Amino acid sequence: MATREIISSGNELSALAARDAGCKFFGGYPITPSSEIMHEMSDMMPEIGGVCIQMEDEIAGVAAAIGAGMAGVRTMTATSGPGISLKAENLGLAQMTEVPLVVVNVMRGGPSTGLPTRVSQGDVAQAKNPSHGDYKSITLCAGSLSECYTETVRAFNLADRFMQPVFVLLDETIGHMHGKAVVPTEEEIRDGIVPRKQFDGPAEEYFPYQCEHDQPAVLNPMFKGYRYHFTGLHHDKKGFPTEEIETCRKLIQRLEDKVELHKDEIELNEEFFLEDAEVMIVAYGSVSLAAKEAIRHLRAEGIKAGLFRPITLWPSPQDRMRELAARIPKVLCVELNIGQYRDEVQRSTGRLDIEGLFKVNGRPISPYEIVNKVKEL
Amino acid sequence: MARTLMRFTGVGGQGVLLAGEIFAAAKIKVGGHGLKTATYTSQVRGGPTVVDITLDDEEIFYPYANDGEINFMLSVAQVSYNSFKGGVKKGGTIVVDPNLVKPTDEDRKTWKIIEIPIITIAKEEVGNVITQSVVALAIANTIMKPIDKESLIDTMLSKVPPKVHAANKLAYDLGEKYALASIA
Repeated sequence: MATREIISSGNELSALAARDAGCKFFGGYPITPSSEIMHEMSDMMPEIGGVCIQMEDEIAGVAAAIGAGMAGVRTMTATSGPGISLKAENLGLAQMTEVPLVVVNVMRGGPSTGLPTRVSQGDVAQAKNPSHGDYKSITLCAGSLSECYTETVRAFNLADRFMQPVFVLLDETIGHMHGKAVVPTEEEIRDGIVPRKQFDGPAEEYFPYQCEHDQPAVLNPMFKGYRYHFTGLHHDKKGFPTEEIETCRKLIQRLEDKVELHKDEIELNEEFFLEDAEVMIVAYGSVSLAAKEAIRHLRAEGIKAGLFRPITLWPSPQDRMRELAARIPKVLCVELNIGQYRDEVQRSTGRLDIEGLFKVNGRPISPYEIVNKVKEL
Repeated sequence: MARTLMRFTGVGGQGVLLAGEIFAAAKIKVGGHGLKTATYTSQVRGGPTVVDITLDDEEIFYPYANDGEINFMLSVAQVSYNSFKGGVKKGGTIVVDPNLVKPTDEDRKTWKIIEIPIITIAKEEVGNVITQSVVALAIANTIMKPIDKESLIDTMLSKVPPKVHAANKLAYDLGEKYALASIA
């Protein structure tokens, strides 16, 4: 694959990736520590004939982005945890109406306004179920500067494939750190774009929500001659509200199954020194950087530690985690929250002896803290 | 080279972030690895700010400087100096602006303290207080020598608008001059 080097920050790389992936609309409201994404989009979108609009608040920001998605363009919003809390209702609408959208969340301390400028991974559980009701979240988590770019691109492609919002979780550390990223060329990205499916038959035969049990809706862009209806209510094949029992059941089961039955298209992990590991550290996002540094130190002292890093957090890589946990005696989750992903590791592996190293004071976890914890196990 | 860890501290709005970005970018351009991280408070102007710069020939994972391993710190605010000096390893170098930071006698025994009036140089000799970050950049590079001077200046000039190139070049030269005098 042809690559290029870019010296930048995680937030700026995420914005650049959006542009390269064909994003033409950004609707949002700036919030620390994500604001640089909107700054960049406000520079780039007009240059390519796109639109970046600052709305009156976070709710309107995502609403505008969803509207652009209904009109058929690749669309994005970026925010932090408090913004996701506000956007939650509309994120549920996008899940229900199956509008593709990329949502970048640069995590900071919470709950509520929390620690605005400090790092956290407290929104991992939120990303799984930001709004009420049943659906399957797709949540990607960048663990390096390069991945701030590549995971944003992947999010756009997954959003169009599965027709739903896709989360990209960054955190304050990775969003603001500044250094070298090695990413695919613009041509590589363009060649990898698969536009969302469209119906091109007669308009009277178009039923956007009439699809196979494991496939997403086929939404043609609005205002192009294909009339249908958007609603957050349970709806029929044309999008109009219904309470017909089987239609309601099939709709919600399909929202689950379109993701659940195609997890292999979504899952992505990194395994770092796990071949002979006696201790498996599970970490993601910026914490995985400290974990890698810790593993260097531990290996130098003869302690066989390795890292399992989920890049796709939701749906979780449960099968792989179960396989690894079946042969690796000690498992340690390191997170900037109080075990939000450890719950998932416990569930996936069926093991209740998963250790934890957690921090929630807005400060990063250092490699030495991980080294010391591993030695205590 | 072995890993070089530098920490620039000040208060929000002073421009310490830019110096960090220039160091990281210059190291990458000459063929190595550089990372800059910044930590600041929600008080945008006036809150203590710290920038960690890690430069290495090997890949860098963890982007922050570990406390006790920092080779060099530069500080232009007492509040930040007090908060972050503890990260500098014993015998390491700390450059302070003596008009803004007053190290204790104990500090002088622990670290090599160098006093350079960074803000005054920028304000009065360059004539533009904003160039203090480039004065600081020159001081750090002159004392620590992590990067070839011309490469660093090229990177610096690529990150500031052309109309202030002359002022920033002057700021670099002055920073270098004061740093050389301080270690002579």
